[in-house]
Parts: sequence; C-alpha cells; structure tokens
Amino acid sequence: MTTTATAAPAAAPPARKFKLTWQVLLLGLLALLFLLSVARVLTGANDITSGGAIGAALMAAVPIGLAGLGGLWSERAGVVNIGLEGIMILGTWFGAWGAIVTGNPWVGVLAGAVGGLVGAALHAVATVTFGVDHVVSGVALNILGLGVTKYLSTLVFAEMSGGGDTQSPRIPAMTTVSLPWIGGPLQELEAKHWFFLSDLAGVLRGLTQNVSLFTLLGVLLVPLTFWLLWRTAFGLRLRSVGERPVAAESLGVNVYFYKYVAVLASGVFAGLGGAFLAIVAAGTYREGQTGGRGFIGLATVIFGNWRPGGLAAGAGLFGYTDALQLRQGGTSVHALLLVVGLLLVAVAIWQLVKQQRSRAALLTGIAAIAVLVVFAVTDTIPEQFTSFTPHLTTLLVLSLASQRLRMPAADGLPYRRGQAK
Amino acid sequence: MLRNRFGKVVAGAAAGAMLLAAAACGGGDTTEGAPSAAPGTDAPAASKVKVGLAYDIGGRGDQSFNDSAAAGLDKAVAELGVEINELEAGNGEAESAKEERLRLLASGGFNPVIAVGFAYSQSVAKVAAEFPDTKFAIVDDEANKLPNVSNLVFAEEQGSFLVGAAAALKSTKGDIGFVGGVEVPLIKKFQAGFEAGAKAVKPDIKIQAKYLTQPPDFSGFGDPAKGKTAAEGMFDAGADVVYQAAGGSGAGVFEAAKAAGGMAIGVDSDQAKTADPTVADVIITSMLKKVDVAVFDFIKSYTTNSVVAGSKVYDLKAGGVDYSTTGGKVDDIKAQLDEYKAKISSGEITVPKE
Repeated sequence: MTTTATAAPAAAPPARKFKLTWQVLLLGLLALLFLLSVARVLTGANDITSGGAIGAALMAAVPIGLAGLGGLWSERAGVVNIGLEGIMILGTWFGAWGAIVTGNPWVGVLAGAVGGLVGAALHAVATVTFGVDHVVSGVALNILGLGVTKYLSTLVFAEMSGGGDTQSPRIPAMTTVSLPWIGGPLQELEAKHWFFLSDLAGVLRGLTQNVSLFTLLGVLLVPLTFWLLWRTAFGLRLRSVGERPVAAESLGVNVYFYKYVAVLASGVFAGLGGAFLAIVAAGTYREGQTGGRGFIGLATVIFGNWRPGGLAAGAGLFGYTDALQLRQGGTSVHALLLVVGLLLVAVAIWQLVKQQRSRAALLTGIAAIAVLVVFAVTDTIPEQFTSFTPHLTTLLVLSLASQRLRMPAADGLPYRRGQAK
Repeated sequence: MLRNRFGKVVAGAAAGAMLLAAAACGGGDTTEGAPSAAPGTDAPAASKVKVGLAYDIGGRGDQSFNDSAAAGLDKAVAELGVEINELEAGNGEAESAKEERLRLLASGGFNPVIAVGFAYSQSVAKVAAEFPDTKFAIVDDEANKLPNVSNLVFAEEQGSFLVGAAAALKSTKGDIGFVGGVEVPLIKKFQAGFEAGAKAVKPDIKIQAKYLTQPPDFSGFGDPAKGKTAAEGMFDAGADVVYQAAGGSGAGVFEAAKAAGGMAIGVDSDQAKTADPTVADVIITSMLKKVDVAVFDFIKSYTTNSVVAGSKVYDLKAGGVDYSTTGGKVDDIKAQLDEYKAKISSGEITVPKE
C-alpha cells in the first residue's frame, strides 16, 4: 500500500524534507497501536482495540470513504460536488430496491451505483454543459435525492410486506468472508488481554474475519483510484482539467469529456457508498439514514488534501472514533483521552527538540497537560460529549496537521469550451 | 485568490448542509394534500367530523410509533365514519414547518387536530392559541396546557419496567443493554423504567445504556447502522438481552441480536409481528404503547362532545402500556411479569420516571 505517498514533487513546497514511505507508515501505525495498548492496559477499556470495534470501524468508514472518493474524483476534475449526500441517498434507495426485488445483494450494489450515476449525470449536465454554479446544482441534487426517494418509497416499499412509506423490508444479507484458520487463535489471544499482542490480534481479527466482500471492494477502490488518477495518462489528463483547463484544452484534451467522466465516476462511488450503508451496514433502507455522511465524506476530501491516502486516513479515523463511541462510549472515549494526551506530549517534545519551536511546544504542552488532567480526574466521559468524539478528533487532527492544504487550482471555477481564445 | 476560493468551497459545504435541513421540510409539506379516506356513510352524527393528523418523523409505515397512531385513526374511520387528512413530517425540519402543517389542518376546517409526538410541543401551543375553536390533541407531551389542548401521555416507564423485569429474568449472563434513539426526556423514561424493572428482579444486574445521538440531532431515530453498531458493542461486552427505544434505528438492534445469537426487546408496537420474519425470532417481547387507543379515544370523545382538555395519562392500569407475548418467548415467566403488573397497577410499586 503506497497510496499515501506525498504530493507530486512539482507541487511539494521546497521546505518539505519528510517523505512518507510505506516503512514509515507501518512504523507509525505500530506506534499508534502501542499507544492504544498502553491506554487499554492502564484504563481497562478493552474495547478500543477489540476485533469487534475494528470491524465496526471499518463498517463505519467505508460509506464515508466511498462518498469521499466520489468527491475526490469530481473535484480533481474541477467540479465541486456538494450533491454527494443526495447521490448517497439515491444509492441507499436503489441499492435496497435492487437487492430486495432480485433477492441478490450484488444486484443491489449495481443498482446503487446506477442510481448514483443518474444523480451525478444531472450534476454533470448542469455544471459542465450549462455552466450552472456547482454549489447551486449540488444543493438542488440533495433536495432532489431526498424527494425522489421519498416518492419512490411510497410507490414501491409501502406495497411490500414489512416495508412502509419510510423504510424498506429487510435486505437479503451479503456473504462475509474470513481469512481461514487464524480466527480462533486470534480470538483466544485477544481474550488474554496481553500487552500489545492481544491488541494486534484484535486489530487483525477485525480486519480479516467476517468481512463482507463489498467492504473489500470499498477498500480496494482507494488504491485503484490512486493508480488511475496518478499513474495513468488518463488520470493525468483528468487532473490537468481540474488544475488548468485552458492549458489542457490547448494540448488537445477534451475538457468536457474528462469532466463528465469524473462527475459520473463520482456518482458511482457515492452511490456505492449509499448502497453499502443500506445493504451491509444497516441491512435495511430507512429514510434519512445517510445522516450527513455525504458531507462528512466531502470533509474527508479536504482532510486528505485531495489525495486518496489522506482521504482514507480521514474516513478511517472518523469511522474508528464513531465505532468506539457507539460501542462502549464513556470508557472507550476516556481511554482515548490518554492516547491524545500522550500524542500531544510527543508532539511537544518533537517541536522543542527537532524544530526548536519553543513557543509552539509550550502551547502543545499546555494542551497535553489539560487533556491528561481531564483524563485523571474523570472515570468516564458523559454521554453528551461522547457523541461528537468523531467530529472533535477530526478537527483536532486537522488543526495539528500541516496547514498546507492545496485544492485543485481550477476547482469550482466555471469553464466554457474555447474560452482561452 | 486561492485561499478565497478554498473558503468559498468550505462555506458552500456548510451552506449545503443547512439547505439540506431546509429541504427536508419542503419535502414533507408537499406530499398528501387531499383527504385520503372517504367519509363513512353509516354514521350520520359524525359524518361532518373532519380529523386532521400530523405525524412525527417516520410517518405512516414506520411499523412502530406512527403506525400505532395510524391504526387508531383507521379504526376511527371504520367505526365512527370520520373524514381524515394525514400529513407527514420531514427529517430535520424547522419549527416553522411544524406550525405550518398544523395551521394548514386547522384552517382547512379540520377539527379535531391531532399532533403525534413531542416534537410538536411548541407548535401546538402556538397554533392552538390561534384557533381557539379547534380542539387539539398532542401525543407524548404535557408541557403546554391550553383550554383547547388535550395532552395524551403514556406511562412508558411502567411498560418498560415490565420488559426490564423480563430481560433480567431471561438473561443468563446477568448483563443487559438499553439502546435509546436520542437522549430526550421521553426516551429517558423508557430507560428509567427498564433499569428499575431489571433491578427489581436482580439488584446486582449489569445494565449498559447508549443513546445514538444527542438533541438537537434527531437522526438517532432513523439510522439503523448506528443502532447495529451500538448493540453489537453491548453483545460483545457480555450482554445477552438488549431493549431498544430507538424508532427506525431499532431494526439495526435486531440485526445485531440475530448475528450475536442474543435476544432483543421491541418497543411501541408488537415488533415480533411487524419486524421481518427472519429476525422476529430474536424479539422476546415488546413494550406496547397503545397510541392507537389514545388516538381513537380522543376522536370518539370529540364525536360525543366530551373532550377533556389537559393531561390524560394512559398507564398500565388504563391499558395504555403493556408487554407483548407474541412468539411465546416469555410464556415461562408470564406469572412473574403479571405479578409485577398487578403491583404497579395497585400502586404497590412506584416506577421512577428518570
């Protein structure tokens, strides 16, 4: 997995010496697991690295990540897609419908993708062909997605037994796969609650046991996107359209065509995200079940600096913290406080020793102490706070991480064919 | 320049989120406009009664709370021959949309007007004051008392007490769970009763509790994926019975119970009957909240000109709440449950509300 490689050399600022290779990434992840393990042993919050929590995190991350990929494709070609939420809603409805009518969840997956495609086609026609403001068109798409599915539900699901105006009958379950032979031993190892080893076992179990094939597909679309957009001529042209459409056109690139392809792909991804939510994560269609996940997906695009690896990291972080707060809210989030505190201490030391930024180190140190004090004086986090853990964590990472976010240069700008002349 | 556009995109995303909320109410208003049932012909005394009913989020077909209200309305159509108009609510709609919906019904000559759900608390107070000659009823709320408003409320804690006792009696691990949709006072009553009932059976029982979202985010009533994750967490942590009071998210709780080989308890309607047959076997009982009885009673009292303003509590004694026995999963403990039922009805046990 080299999807999280740094930005292309041309775009990277000269001051940046640090290069994220897969070895560094692996080391970082192991260090994070080590920290989590320390927190787990000290607090007894065994759920933070349990196989169940990791599995649930994956389940929460995939629909957000798919919506994010949708946003990435579209914005890389210079079309802002606020309509992801509406496309996702179409995906949930058509995904559920396809699966229920045929009895085969994979038909639902396909139907969800097609539903998303149709929604995105509207966005593409409006923004690319007619030059409508991207935000206006996207908002219209959100309204449309909600209204259309509502109408279709009363027509279709209300007639089915077990369905209603606002929900579908149960969707036939998708088969899950497991890596053979290791499930049992991993579970035993996890149950021993040993330092680090059990945590590793929990993570591996969550990632390898009872994973639906759709989840695998969703995860694999991240490296696929990276390969397509950054390693092929097609991808280069698509991105050039989002950076300088005028220059691309002067070199003979059909700008409209690439914009269309990108927005349609965006619809397929977000539609798949919706279908995943209905078929795998919930097992039923329910009006309003997307609950803003399309917007969160859009946020992961910004979080990930318009790169697939960063986007996946953002979706993973959001999914993980959301799963933790939903499963064992108070205790797990309390243990996370310790992790955050320790991380802040590490950052402070880094700033002081390696970067010689004593004022920044002081501020980070104060924040670390504040977090650790809160951790020490409480036993559990009140329910009122745990529910926004995912949002807070994401915000925290964004504020600490490099502020050099760079969106595609022509993102959201109107473009008319031949405007360079 | 670049920074400006970046800010514009972010602002656009935020504006999109807000507009989505606004859009949700737009969708709700435009649905059914005309009366959806023909007036009865065999009840001349009531043939002029036009009942307006506004649903909570979820509406007709939610197989739970709203469907229960719809059942009462249908019964009134069949037995009293009233004319009806039903309007649906949208997810995340603004307060003004609720007011407008009630105003539409009242100004359209519908009398009485029934608002289903505590979400209508403020809007009923406001609109009822504007139409003093129209009788209003609100289900699940007694915050506002007006001379033309009847507050139909339920003793959910008493019904929840019974299913809490059932959960404790059925649990072999001594560990049970409660999944609430949104942490509002109404749902806290369910939790309080459930915990009291479980502790009455087994004082040292472990009870896990989780609310899916916090107000004003009401998506917790319609997000089955979240319900599933929360219940999975409880089953993984050792629970074997989970009670859900989470509206549409409850389907996820049943899914999790099915996957974990655990038991679940339904809410509002008899969910062993309404849930999908493939998961119905995990539902050992449901806390019944007979909104249909309350709605029908209210319409009937209007046709006989005996509407009483103010609170009317549908408790265990009045048959407003109960537990279900569909599936025969609680037949072995029925005697104990009925004993608790008698004690609550007689006032020997007082169930806490929070």
